[in-house]
Amino acid sequence: MNEKVLISIQGLSKKFSKDIKYNMYYGIKDLLYDGLMLQNTQKEVLRKREFWALKDINFDLREGEILGVVGTNGSGKTTLMRLIAGIYPLEIGSIKGVANLKVTAIFALRSGMQFLFTGRENIYIKGSMYGMSKEALDAKMDFIESFSELGDKLDRPYGNYSSGMRARLAYSIAVATEPDVFIIDEALAVGDSLFKAKCLEHLKQYVQQKGKAVIFISNNIRKVMKVASRVAVLDKGQLIHQSEDVPAALDYYIRNCLKHLGEEQLKDQLQKIKEYDM
Amino acid sequence: MEQPEEQISPLMDLHPSGRVGFVRRWRMLFQNIRTYRFFIRQLVRINILTEFKRSFIGLSWLFIVPILAVLVWILLNGAGIVEPGDTAIPYPAYVLLSTSIWGFFADIYKSSSTLFSNNGRIMIMTHFPREVLIVEKVIVHLIRFSVPFAINLIVLLYFGVKLSWVALLFPIALIPLLLVGLGLGLIGALLKIVAVDLSNLMDEGIRLLMFITPIVYAPKIQLGWLSDIVHLNPMTYLVGFCRDVLTQGTFYEARNYLICSLVALVFFLFVMRIFKASESRILERLINI
Repeated sequence: MNEKVLISIQGLSKKFSKDIKYNMYYGIKDLLYDGLMLQNTQKEVLRKREFWALKDINFDLREGEILGVVGTNGSGKTTLMRLIAGIYPLEIGSIKGVANLKVTAIFALRSGMQFLFTGRENIYIKGSMYGMSKEALDAKMDFIESFSELGDKLDRPYGNYSSGMRARLAYSIAVATEPDVFIIDEALAVGDSLFKAKCLEHLKQYVQQKGKAVIFISNNIRKVMKVASRVAVLDKGQLIHQSEDVPAALDYYIRNCLKHLGEEQLKDQLQKIKEYDM
Repeated sequence: MEQPEEQISPLMDLHPSGRVGFVRRWRMLFQNIRTYRFFIRQLVRINILTEFKRSFIGLSWLFIVPILAVLVWILLNGAGIVEPGDTAIPYPAYVLLSTSIWGFFADIYKSSSTLFSNNGRIMIMTHFPREVLIVEKVIVHLIRFSVPFAINLIVLLYFGVKLSWVALLFPIALIPLLLVGLGLGLIGALLKIVAVDLSNLMDEGIRLLMFITPIVYAPKIQLGWLSDIVHLNPMTYLVGFCRDVLTQGTFYEARNYLICSLVALVFFLFVMRIFKASESRILERLINI
């Protein structure tokens, strides 16, 4: 555990509103506070109809590791990643990183891709969205072509691609940005087994390089087991467990999900999960 | 947990959010635009090309629509439509020009006011500086404005309007209109997410504003109370100045125009400050559709 810390997260919390009207109301209120540069005293407390999407999260991301983040649907995984990626504003807690750290996060592979443009044109579109210049993308073109294995299909309209082909292309573009920290949020849920295997293998090699790390968000226990070097478990916005003992952490995660069940049912469920997902 | 010794580089805020001063804010803004200039080019390309991608004649559509509009005006003129007010140039040319100058203002308002509602999805999925979207809107707007406008100019010449060298100032004279339209549009964009009622009011307000600005009638028209409102309306000077610079080579109410322009600039800088302070806050309020 003495690898260099790339990202350090301390006391991170985030709240959202449960109700659409209150969502708008607080939106206007916060906007006025920001616009008039006033101190917002209600920043750290829950207002009416709000809840903690994330509460007091602390963890470090170190060089060379693949951190698997697991949690049931709605446990705050994506919110956490959006905060790290800088999409949501940081209000409570801190996210620190080494200087000039480049973070690439992929949430939805499809977003930003243009259906009427060819695969190759979409490489420019999506690549430039990650902040790459034309020269940088041209230099990476061969890599993207070979990594995605799309061949001459790259010159067909993206709209005619199958979902697997779309995933291949989008994932290859994201890889080509060569970030220091690569955040993959359920992005490998699509694509065929061959491609998935290749990606996971690539991730393992990727983090061998100096100053690189990956955060891998998935609900697929088997994949996390295969690829992660450490696992963090989120439950209702709280980080309830983190460990380098991956199988034990995943076991903890599953048991936590099923803790409301009796001993008998628990065994039954575990059996089912083993059968279908491991 | 003790810190390892080899950790020499100190950690700093990954996304600094502290308030920055005026100069730094604008320097960062221009830096971001520079870094993402290839992305801006792609966005402009998508915006202009998408609707023509499946068309065989493609970009020709950019020309066909304004030519049709011009034909309608020539026909109406031939039929002898009434002469409202005292306009220095033929009435159809006057209206044609006024409406396209008004369009210059109204269109940038319209396109920038959907900045969050139309691009929300990519903004919430990928982190990139949001000011690139503003630049994209402006560039697309300028392209979409200049094509029909060039055609309008040809019509003006056909109607016998002589252009003087002052007309060369026209593009510069338009800048305040752009700043006002963009500034109002960006406020509208923020309100569209958190205050739908206010943004609807704003959209309607812009539409009404057109009727109290001399667009389809001449500024000298005498209509009692309406004239008073027209004189108080800053848009009268911003639009009128542009029109007269182009058609007559004169400076319409130059002093009022300059005052309005200055106010427009201050207003725009103020809006950008609000925009930068609240852009990510708006994104967390966004409900994905």
